[in-house]
Amino acid sequence: MKKMFITRDNLAALVKGLKNACDEFIAPKKGHLDDIIFEDTKAGGGELLEYDGNSIVSPRAFLLPQTEPLFEIKSAKASVFLPIRDNKERIFYGVRPCDIKALVIMRSFFLGEPVDGPYKDRLERSTFIALACGKSCSNNAFCCEMGAGPAAKEGFDLQLTAIKRGYIVDIGSNKGSRIVKGNKRLFSRPTPADEKEASQALKRLARGAKRIEYKKLAGIMKEDKVKESVWKDIGLRCVMCSGCITLCPTCSCFSVADRLNGDKGIRMRYCDGCPYAGFTRMAGGSAPFPRHQDHIRRFFEHKLNVDVERYGTPSCVGCARCIETCPGNISIKKVIDTILVENE
Amino acid sequence: MNNEYLPKRAVIEGIRDETFDVKTFTLRLKDKAGALKYKPGQFMILSLPGYGEAPFTFSSCPAKDGRFQISVKKIGSLTQAMHELGKNDAVGVRGPYGNSFPLDEMKNKDILFVAGGIGMAPLRSAIQHVFKNRKDYGKVEIIYGARTPQDMVYKEEIETWRNVPDTDIQLTVDMPDNAWGGACGVVCVLFPKIKLSPKNTITILCGPPVMIKFAIKDILKLGFKERSIYASLERYMKCGIGKCGHCYIKGKYVCVDGPNFSYAQMKELGVES
Repeated sequence: MKKMFITRDNLAALVKGLKNACDEFIAPKKGHLDDIIFEDTKAGGGELLEYDGNSIVSPRAFLLPQTEPLFEIKSAKASVFLPIRDNKERIFYGVRPCDIKALVIMRSFFLGEPVDGPYKDRLERSTFIALACGKSCSNNAFCCEMGAGPAAKEGFDLQLTAIKRGYIVDIGSNKGSRIVKGNKRLFSRPTPADEKEASQALKRLARGAKRIEYKKLAGIMKEDKVKESVWKDIGLRCVMCSGCITLCPTCSCFSVADRLNGDKGIRMRYCDGCPYAGFTRMAGGSAPFPRHQDHIRRFFEHKLNVDVERYGTPSCVGCARCIETCPGNISIKKVIDTILVENE
Repeated sequence: MNNEYLPKRAVIEGIRDETFDVKTFTLRLKDKAGALKYKPGQFMILSLPGYGEAPFTFSSCPAKDGRFQISVKKIGSLTQAMHELGKNDAVGVRGPYGNSFPLDEMKNKDILFVAGGIGMAPLRSAIQHVFKNRKDYGKVEIIYGARTPQDMVYKEEIETWRNVPDTDIQLTVDMPDNAWGGACGVVCVLFPKIKLSPKNTITILCGPPVMIKFAIKDILKLGFKERSIYASLERYMKCGIGKCGHCYIKGKYVCVDGPNFSYAQMKELGVES
């Protein structure tokens, strides 16, 4: 992969230029609780070019919004529907490597046949500038153990790794290459010392991380060897708040509902998910999975077994958002460790 | 953008009352040049603006004129609203989705159809297809159970099926009335009357989950093979294209990988119905 170098001042100039060239510039900002929130800073500004930790909500929210219109209902009575198109060009700046890996998985899912049109539309008009991690973001994160950090291997257009005198820039796609070519004067070649500094910083961060044997884990789950007590315990803790599925960068389930005002309106989709008892319940009340522990069990099996089979990688990226938000103290990391230890 | 979620307009060309809570709707796309090219066992998603969408299996076999039928039991808000509609009213449809019944595998074999309640709707599509191509298939036995005689759908049509060569029809109800002349009890009470040989028969089941669960157990006891028994599974779904996640079972999506599964596949998925 070709590497370039950019100084902090030049990065600021690059961001200024990029903001003019897109419709939305999705970037990290300091929230009022001193935490990190991604938002469109094109008009308001205030984006952080560098930050510690990760955002509370993953950038998923801009590609698969909590609610989004699927099409317009021009007349409910006559069943006349009109397509809606999201034509916005978006640049995502400062996305963490774990969330970049999540986007790679989401791309495989939504763009796999049959294609999800609305997601594809947004994704193809998006540019991703990743920011490799310089520090561990929380005590709970285990991205390095999941092979999703501290730097992304693929899925970005550009990736920045901070060093003392600026950033090493990895070019990950033609889109990324075009940005560099179009702003030639802002970039230069990194020195061997620069590259060494960056790679050592990343290595330092990953040091001591024991890779989770995800294939072994998937095998245990596939063979149904997980002790019933694990799922029972999770079922008792889960309060169906949906915090995990809302913040998870790879959760993708949704429901559909109509919003009418008189004869006109929209059909919208909204994020939904397996913890809810009603997620699989049918009209008339029949429910194929009546036990709550089986609802939430699906969250773990999908991410840790099914997606390993389907995409060759677990779809948990170790960002720990679900762990930190869970009122029932459920930790996917502890679930993984427990299953692996109990099946040694 | 190709938006798979955008329904096509369809018009209700006919409505038939099957029972007090089931109506059969004959539909055709407004754009008559386009037709839903489906196979028996597949389903479509019906849109009723204001009420959303729900999946329905085609209850008629594919017709050249592009007309297709669905039989709708009044059970939730969308189906109740559907029952209020009249001839020439418009609805949205998209599809077809899912796999069909194993039509190729069924060829030259005897076929045992087991239906419970509104589960007869998807089977009717297959039965019509088999009768339309009668020489391609062996003997047919149809076992149909309903709660009461008044809950039986397609009553008149079923009587005409009795005249089709090599076809045997057995009916049962849970709660008979004075006029009922058939069997009494769940579908399983009719299984001792099955004359088809387990060796050369494909069984297709559709009905409420509890019926599927117990009927398969009893059919297996008669010596039928796990791979020769197919059931049409019913799950909540919102997209039909394997994205919304509602119908997911162990990595499979009922809407894409099903809704028709052999019992051998169902066992792999860990479901009984």
